[in-house]
Amino acid sequence: MNSLYDKVKKNLIWKSVFRRDYKDTVRNRAQAIFGNVFLHLHPVRVRESAVKLRFTWGMGGITLLSFIILTVTGIVLMFYYHPTVDLAFLDIKDLEYQVPYGVISRNLHRWAAHFMVIVVMIHMFRVFMTGSYKFPRQFNWGVGVILLVLTFLLSFTGYLLPWDQLGFWAITVGTNMGAATPLLGYQGPFSEYLHITPYNDIRFALLGGARVGGNALLRSYIWHCVALPLITIILMSVHFWRVRKDGGISRPQP
Amino acid sequence: MANENPHSSNYRAYLFAALSITLLALSAWVIWNDEFGLRPWKHYQKEYKSLKHDKLEKDYQQALQDFRRSGGARRLAMLEAQLAKAEEAFKQKGVHDRYVELNAQLDDLHAKMATNQKELQMTRGQFLETEYYFTKTQKPEYKKKMDELQRQIDTIDGKGKALLVKEEPIRQAIYKLTGGMTEIRAEIEAIRKSLEERKEKIANNDKAPIEIKQYLIKDTDKADRCVSCHAGIESNVQVSKKEPYTKHPLGFVYLGHHDPTKFGCTFCHRGQGRATTTIEKAHGNVKHWEEPMLKGNMTQTSCLNCHGDIKNLRGAEKIANDTELIRKYGCYSCHKIPGYEGMGDVGPELTNVGTKVNYSWAVRWLMDPKKYFSTARMPKFFFTKDQAEAIADYLFSMSGTTRHDVDYATATPNEQLVEQGKMLWSQARCNLCHMTNGKGGNHIKVYAPDLSKAGSKVNKTWLFNWIKDPNKYFPGTRMPRFRFTDQEINALVEYIVSEYQDDEAESAYTTPVQISAASIKKGKDLIQQYGCYGCHKIQGMEMVQVAPSLKSQGVTFLRSDEMREKIGTELSSIGSKPVDLLDFGKLKKSIPNDRLSYIKQKLRDPRGFRLGLRMPNFGLSEKEVNELAAVLYGFTDSNVPVRFLVPSRQELEKMAGVPGYKFTGDFAKVISDVKCTNCHTIKGIGADYAPDLSLAGSKLQESWIRSFLANPDVIRPLLQQMPKLGLTMGPKPAKITMPKFNLGVQKVEDTNRSDVDVVVNYFQQELVTPDIPKDLPVIADIVMPEQIAMGKKLYDQKGCVACHQIGADGGAVGPNLSNVGNRLRAGFIFKHLENSRKFKPDIVEPNYGFTERERIFLTNYLMTLKLTAK
Repeated sequence: MNSLYDKVKKNLIWKSVFRRDYKDTVRNRAQAIFGNVFLHLHPVRVRESAVKLRFTWGMGGITLLSFIILTVTGIVLMFYYHPTVDLAFLDIKDLEYQVPYGVISRNLHRWAAHFMVIVVMIHMFRVFMTGSYKFPRQFNWGVGVILLVLTFLLSFTGYLLPWDQLGFWAITVGTNMGAATPLLGYQGPFSEYLHITPYNDIRFALLGGARVGGNALLRSYIWHCVALPLITIILMSVHFWRVRKDGGISRPQP
Repeated sequence: MANENPHSSNYRAYLFAALSITLLALSAWVIWNDEFGLRPWKHYQKEYKSLKHDKLEKDYQQALQDFRRSGGARRLAMLEAQLAKAEEAFKQKGVHDRYVELNAQLDDLHAKMATNQKELQMTRGQFLETEYYFTKTQKPEYKKKMDELQRQIDTIDGKGKALLVKEEPIRQAIYKLTGGMTEIRAEIEAIRKSLEERKEKIANNDKAPIEIKQYLIKDTDKADRCVSCHAGIESNVQVSKKEPYTKHPLGFVYLGHHDPTKFGCTFCHRGQGRATTTIEKAHGNVKHWEEPMLKGNMTQTSCLNCHGDIKNLRGAEKIANDTELIRKYGCYSCHKIPGYEGMGDVGPELTNVGTKVNYSWAVRWLMDPKKYFSTARMPKFFFTKDQAEAIADYLFSMSGTTRHDVDYATATPNEQLVEQGKMLWSQARCNLCHMTNGKGGNHIKVYAPDLSKAGSKVNKTWLFNWIKDPNKYFPGTRMPRFRFTDQEINALVEYIVSEYQDDEAESAYTTPVQISAASIKKGKDLIQQYGCYGCHKIQGMEMVQVAPSLKSQGVTFLRSDEMREKIGTELSSIGSKPVDLLDFGKLKKSIPNDRLSYIKQKLRDPRGFRLGLRMPNFGLSEKEVNELAAVLYGFTDSNVPVRFLVPSRQELEKMAGVPGYKFTGDFAKVISDVKCTNCHTIKGIGADYAPDLSLAGSKLQESWIRSFLANPDVIRPLLQQMPKLGLTMGPKPAKITMPKFNLGVQKVEDTNRSDVDVVVNYFQQELVTPDIPKDLPVIADIVMPEQIAMGKKLYDQKGCVACHQIGADGGAVGPNLSNVGNRLRAGFIFKHLENSRKFKPDIVEPNYGFTERERIFLTNYLMTLKLTAK
């Protein structure tokens, strides 16, 4: 028995993965943090008062949880989804009726998305009310604001993907609002000075055309599944890193 | 307390445990729900399998029982014993060699027989060829050669027979030698197989996997999973009468012609083919799914998606019948409907209506046509008396200046004329089209006006002119021009006017009253607003309505009919119009918000949705509402693949660039007068109430055509004709025959040929086919009386008498043959006996497979059946 134990544990492979033993020493504990890329972003130590639910509401963590759920279910959904005009809606129907665990995947994705938007806003509200946006955390507040916008954009681009009437008209209305952007939208003020027309304005860039169609669906898909999540992950890393660097999560005055 | 440390609080441990258990339970539920809750078809398939198993098992047990009861087991044992014995005997020395030898002999014999047969065929061919030359040229050298060949045939035939005689002894010798081994083996095999096949079926059924089943339709977005639950829909055997296990009703018609793997389900049935989770979702009875499933006969509306011509389509009887309503009420007059372009006006021309009818009648009629005649086709526009008068004023002002009535009720009729008129009325069979006092009138499809109250409606002078030449007053009317003399017309007019009076008639304007200009203006505005010109031709109104897009460009008048926009909404895709685009108005809350409910409500009460609607009320019965709604529901712009489309004959001709058939010459003039195509079809034109005349020239004898036109009489027993005509003749049906048009009395305009000459000539020149020979082939070797006798014998043998009547004997399914020798051409009978379906595909007559000679005998016999003229 001991020889088997040795065989499994006393080799290079095991040791390169599990670099320490489990002895409860200060050094081991510290190394567990240093050696783990995920915990690296996490503050080295967390004060007891900081984990009080009453103060933080845990909203930041829950937002991260939502994001993870969304990533996992989103990848599952991508296996069954074609971002084309002919197939998009039918693929959604198939997810609903035929794909194994399609219903739970789609519904988890949808509800987690709604949940994330709400939770992000509550998180921001809490940060504001506890004054956690003040020095030294003013930079992280800025990063957080950008992350809020990214969350909204993820939500917006995902709305078109089922290619149903609801999404179609929501995107039509949303991008028409874009058309009224000052300078960049063809209906916006001052746009004439930049020679902006319906065919070169911000709405055109969003839709890949002058109206919602196949290109808009493809652009939404790529923003939603590739570009926006990448940017979000990068900024989230910065966000967490700043929490650590700015003295850990904010907590009530002692 | 020991638990001061918050990290080891029991409370949190319990909470955590409870949440974990909840999560576990939820996960378990998710798995269960995904496996079974969302996949009810698994249950249905299992159920179907077990039902099918039971049925197959029952069949098997039945077969087994039959097998036992009929002593099958004993027979099997006996056969096996016989076989064993035979096999033992076969093993004896020398038997096998003898067996091989005999088989070689048999093969040799067969080869000889085949050569003989070939030789015989060749010589027979030569004989037929020579015979053909002989009948053509009558040269004796051919006759000689024929005799020579006949001798050869006899010799070869004799040889063949001699060979045939040899076969049987060899076969018997083989049988004796083997003890019938081969036969016994075959029988044993057959007995075993009948049972084993059934067993195998059961095993296959039990092995079939429970899985999602779907029809993926190429080039479309269809994935119809209906068969996942309706597992037995394609089966020929009804496993259960319970849904969803039934087989498709009339499957051999619907699925037989539309392979479900190529057509799927939802092209015809609509519904949500992809959905499988609940019945409501799959059948499309859920919010935001605008195509609920069509069930039962309603599904026939989908035939309209692909079939251009549904008139004689098997399985589309209901919808074919329903489409007739579109023609009856002339929906296409106000609405654009594809396939109904250029149909002609539904109502009569109104330009000179002032010279035709009583003013009081016109006002009464305009206010509520259905109240005047319950069978009226004109809808109710809800005009007030003022409005009706204004419209009548406008119409009367086109041919006069006054409101005027004529009252014939008080006049004394000329009895002698009335008597003569009455006779003419029945001779001309006016009642065939026109209804009077609830009798007669083929108003189901011909829609001639009811004449019960005609005497109080129309003007005598007008009636005289109308009967004399209907085309003159109303070009394109379906009323034929009977060749009456002026005196006869006078008599007919006198009869109609005195016999058919309206008791409730008002005649307020027996002294004419001047029409005011203001009223005329008002009437004109009303006519334009409600689009009376959609159904009626009104001079000066053809060119008022212009497409709005053109109006905005300053164009107000256009002459062309095609440019005139229909007053109503286009109906070409009403059956697939998004529900959001239908204006439910104030009924939004009181009727279901779906397409079919909207269509039905619109037909029931067209103006009920909101103020300002213009569609009139047709007073449709609930049955008619349902029928019409079914048709409208079928007008879709559904994206059916082109390969599904079955264009109508007209469309095909148009696509091929073949112009439709047109009557030519003097015959065209006769047709436009007598309207033969009201009842007969000729070369694809016309109705199907009377026989198709496309090949009449090849079929009918000239003398018969002449005498029939002069004095029409029934050919076919009444039984068969009655339902097709759809007449309502009261308790005692009169004889229905063709009306007497008095052809031959007058010459066709601009020529000096009589009508009958023109008709007969056209029949013989145009309505013929080279497929039907003019004369019979001749059989030279049998004298005619003998041929006739053989024909009669055949007639009796084959039981022709069961359907055909000669003299007083025989059935009433086929035509009466008592006078067939005077009526039909011999060539036609000869060809008809060969293949009766060639000229009339839906004929009931069986095909007896007569030889050519038999057909000649029969024809010769039938041609002797002549009635002598009285």
